[in-house]
Amino acid sequence: MNMAPPNLTSAATAQAPEAVAPPAAHADTIQKFLATELAKQRRERIANRAMAISFGLFVLLVWAIATEGGFVHALIIPSPFDTVEATIRLMRSNILWPNVWVTLQEIFWAFLLGLGSGCLLGVGVAMFAGVRATLYPYLVAIQAPPKIVLAPIFVTWFGFDMASKIAIGVVMSFFPMFLNTLTGLTSVDPNAIKLMKSLTAGRWKTFRYLLLPNALPIMMAGVKLCWTLAVLGVIVGEFVGASAGIGYLIYAMNFQLDIAGVFSLIILLSLFTLFVYQFIEWLEGRIIFWKQL
Amino acid sequence: MPTGLIEGSSLSKVYATATGPLVALSEVSFQVEEGEFISLVGPSGCGKSTLLSILGGLENQTEGVLLLSDKEHDGPRREIGMMFQTSVLFPWRTVRQNVELPGIILGLDRRQQAEEAERLLDMVGLNGFGDRYPAELSGGMRQRVALARLLAHDPKVLLMDEPFGALDEFTRETMNLELLRIWEKTGKTVVFVTHNIGEAVFLSDRIFVMTPRPGRLEGIVEVDLPRPRKAEIMRDPRYSELVFDIRGMLGVDH
Ligand SMILES: Nc1ncnc2c1ncn2[C@@H]1O[C@H](COP(=O)(O)OP(=O)(O)OP(=O)(O)O)[C@@H](O)[C@H]1O
Ligand SMILES: [Mg+2]
Repeated sequence: MNMAPPNLTSAATAQAPEAVAPPAAHADTIQKFLATELAKQRRERIANRAMAISFGLFVLLVWAIATEGGFVHALIIPSPFDTVEATIRLMRSNILWPNVWVTLQEIFWAFLLGLGSGCLLGVGVAMFAGVRATLYPYLVAIQAPPKIVLAPIFVTWFGFDMASKIAIGVVMSFFPMFLNTLTGLTSVDPNAIKLMKSLTAGRWKTFRYLLLPNALPIMMAGVKLCWTLAVLGVIVGEFVGASAGIGYLIYAMNFQLDIAGVFSLIILLSLFTLFVYQFIEWLEGRIIFWKQL
Repeated sequence: MPTGLIEGSSLSKVYATATGPLVALSEVSFQVEEGEFISLVGPSGCGKSTLLSILGGLENQTEGVLLLSDKEHDGPRREIGMMFQTSVLFPWRTVRQNVELPGIILGLDRRQQAEEAERLLDMVGLNGFGDRYPAELSGGMRQRVALARLLAHDPKVLLMDEPFGALDEFTRETMNLELLRIWEKTGKTVVFVTHNIGEAVFLSDRIFVMTPRPGRLEGIVEVDLPRPRKAEIMRDPRYSELVFDIRGMLGVDH
């Protein structure tokens, strides 16, 4: 999330070469204006954060009152205190970490392979007419069924271990990466193509200096989708048939009516996914810095 | 018979479209001498951009012969540079890096190109803006960068497709004066597309007047105004006369 307000300081301090030093009186007014403007921005930032935090606390409060006050049965929604307790219990037990480790590996490979294959095929289809003619219809067609239907088959094919979960994660995360790469590489100003052509740039130089950087913003949006779907695919796979992993654990605990445990796992998983998502967004800001100018 | 730097004979261009063949250019013949400033004027859709693309070797004519320095010309070449109505600067490159792009693509000497970029930015009045990004510049400044980039690899022929068409009147006139100054200094051959008849008369040695459906070369107008030209030349009765002649050829006045 990029909530940072436009950076006034850098715009004001970066010296335009033709800018002459303003007369002293003006410099004073500008200084004062800048100071009040910055203070205003800071106040706004704090106010925004305060509102968001208050809302979160409010939801928490409603949750606590509804559960502790006996309005909702603990088997349907556990209280926040029970959930925290369950989290601590889980973290101290020896069942959480081995399962976390399994799921982490699955997610890592699913994301990496989904990302890699999506990029590669996107580049292939965008850059080579032969690849496009051969593969594009099929790549789109395999998108038609909801890919979750493949989960049981993949478990049959690849077994109860990590491979089947990775396969499902890849199949789910691959397509947005592929499509965004393809769209990014093909949405380019025709005059820019003409310019590169006029400079006698071949396919590789056009790709390297124009198409790829031009595609990065759309590709980064694809990376974020790819990440979310890789996690989804892996967890779904663990639901369908697994002997280890967070999804498996959630399933098992739900079966044992350990709803507080399920809640804490869901929250842990969400926090992890969100954390990586934020990291990708941070990376995105670095990679496509020019969008923030 | 003396031949020009660029020589087109009976150039035609037909596009195959969903609704059948579309004749964009029909039997266009002309010569451009080395160092000449040519303008292409004509209503929208008469094939100006098409002709420019063919001159740049980006597209090939369907019929006819195109020669550059007496040799057949059918592909992009280093000695031809192109500029467009939009600046087409790459937003991820700084102003300096944008000007250095042609050198990088063409594999020219890096150090020498860096010096050249600095000199060109100076020439177009953007001294000190080298480290800015295009998003931080005004439209006029971006076109100046595009002009510097156009000159970076020192092409002999400049093909400019309405380069100042998106600028306000005041900026456009300033850019025209600068372009003339640069052209007088460097002796490049320029083919300049514009909708603006006054601009064409002000800049050119000769004006190719084109008419649409299909794109034909209606006539060529010699601009016999003295050089070097300053803005005052627009007060010259001959200037207005030429503008009105061309308007007549285009059928603007009824
Ligand atoms: N790639 C293409 N495919 C099909 N038709 C085209 C193509 N490029 C141009 N045309 C057609 O050729 C004709 C001439 O187009 P061109 O762009 O050269 O006109 P123009 O004189 O540059 O117009 P403008 O002043 O509006 O820029 C138009 O009718 C246009 O629709
Ligand atoms: Mg045009």
